[in-house]
Amino acid sequence: MRSVSRDEPHAAPSLRALPRRSMSARRASLIWAALALAALVVFAASLASGSVSVTLAQVLSALSPWQGAHGAPDMATEIVSTLRLPRALAGFACGALLALGGALLQVLLRNPLAEPYVLGVSGGAAAFALVAMIAGVAWWGVQASACAGAFVSILLVLGLARRELWRGEPQDSSPRLLLTGAVTAAGWGALITLLLTLAPDTRLRGMVFWLTGDLNGAGMPWPALVALAVVLAGVVPAAPMLNVLLRGDAAAQALGVPVLRLRVGIYLAASIAAAAAVTTGGTIGFVGLVVPHMLRLAFGNDQRMLVPAAALAGGVAVMGADLVARTVAAPAQLPVGVVTALAGVPVFLWMLLARRTR
Amino acid sequence: MSDASAPLLAARALTLRAGARTLVESLTQVFTAGEIWCVAGANGAGKTTLIGALAGLRESAAGHVEVEGVALGEWPPVRLAQRRALMPQDQRDAFSASVLDTVLLNRYPHLSGWGWEGDTDRAAAHAALAALGLEALAARDVLSLSGGERQRVALAAALCQGAPLLLLDEPLAHLDLHHQIACLEALSRWVRSEARAILFSCHDLNLARRFSTHALLLDGHGGFHAGPVREVLTPERASAAFGHSLVLIREGAHEALVPALASSASTSHLPGSNGAR
Repeated sequence: MRSVSRDEPHAAPSLRALPRRSMSARRASLIWAALALAALVVFAASLASGSVSVTLAQVLSALSPWQGAHGAPDMATEIVSTLRLPRALAGFACGALLALGGALLQVLLRNPLAEPYVLGVSGGAAAFALVAMIAGVAWWGVQASACAGAFVSILLVLGLARRELWRGEPQDSSPRLLLTGAVTAAGWGALITLLLTLAPDTRLRGMVFWLTGDLNGAGMPWPALVALAVVLAGVVPAAPMLNVLLRGDAAAQALGVPVLRLRVGIYLAASIAAAAAVTTGGTIGFVGLVVPHMLRLAFGNDQRMLVPAAALAGGVAVMGADLVARTVAAPAQLPVGVVTALAGVPVFLWMLLARRTR
Repeated sequence: MSDASAPLLAARALTLRAGARTLVESLTQVFTAGEIWCVAGANGAGKTTLIGALAGLRESAAGHVEVEGVALGEWPPVRLAQRRALMPQDQRDAFSASVLDTVLLNRYPHLSGWGWEGDTDRAAAHAALAALGLEALAARDVLSLSGGERQRVALAAALCQGAPLLLLDEPLAHLDLHHQIACLEALSRWVRSEARAILFSCHDLNLARRFSTHALLLDGHGGFHAGPVREVLTPERASAAFGHSLVLIREGAHEALVPALASSASTSHLPGSNGAR
């Protein structure tokens, strides 16, 4: 399964981004404003388009809190408020969490190729979700099971690699936290293959959709939105420390950064982000890897700008990909993970190869 | 909180161990403003361990370290970083960033509010780059720098931190001779311009004798010599610490410690030699 046990990066190739000017609060605010505007546009498009077309006025009336006041809601309003709105919000939350998780793990592991699933969170979630699907429980049971699996995996890696997490990745020898996560992910991958082999044919299609990342069943965006708010509130104030941590643990500690507490905090924030995203939308690939890199290439690697920008841009990316996934082959709906992977692979290869010649 | 009359740095009965090995046994020494200390010793003698302990990055087996009269453990970390800067050995960057931005990171202890740098911070970064002749590199990508350039950028970052006490681990590694001298001259000027002190580890005993005021020579078994550089980095003591016989030769005002020739048991016939100080 591509999305769970990908080849893990060990050597960091040069992904070079170098803007001409240093980041400032003003420049960062402009970037955030532009991304927020893009998010609004994609959000509006997600509500308005689909197999039933809805006018902007109907979208606005569906969003208005007084919609129930005058009689029964029409069908357009119903579609927007019960189907498209939760799905768009879930897409935004998943993408924001994944890009945020990727950006955080890239700092924690000091490795540009780290992504939210690299430490096995998605594998644990997927294995538990598949077991729930085979057992035939309701959708909320699958989600609860996925959430439990994500946290089992988080605790497993935390327990196995706690010394490396405390001490930091050695700069020259093998990155052991990364390897522990990668091997755990590979173990989950084997388990997932086994479950797919044993699963009854009737359930197989839903399971494959889940593994590729699918927002079709995402009826409940609120847990993911709450997780996003919590992670952002925890991480944004720490962003200046993340910049310093990239210089290495010794340098950061000598500059007054509480390195140990920060590393554990980043690990937990990234894990919660990945767990919430996987629980809501399955393993949507490449967003956590590609979105932070696109922002780095465009605007530099200042974490104070990058952390909020990654959340906004990741949200735009998944919300937009889901819009494509449910309109491009309508009335059929593709899993959103297929769109992010199909777009992510060439974009990532282009970034990797094209920048080197400069 | 700190006492203005206290020495910038003091070791009080400091004992450092690595596993079963004792690297430094009960070091008591003050390091005061205006002094440039060279920490010398063979590989593995404990230079990095000592600098790490003096910076507060590693625990000592016994004793403690004071900065401006206050024990390290009692300093709030950010306040401490405003008073002492550390340049660790061999830093690597994983991501692209400009040299200027990298140097600016060392202004972290001075940031306030939402943590964005102000004009003072930018001025400090430009001044630090200028002090080491690195203005031309300001816009370069740190990933494209050579080992020596990276080393000088790390030194500029330490200067940019604006702390009166500098602890430098191998600041001259990977540098050409003329850059070594230029860096040491810049550091000498930096120490003289205000009440500041530097402690750096170094493998070149001759540069140490020329540019530092004091030396701390570690023998790697817990023993050490500390004091004015010419009383510590003598041929006898250096020979004992490095396990190879060294002689001091003089040419006018110039002096150099050089390895003794294996064949010459006596050094008295070497021209200009003054081996038996």
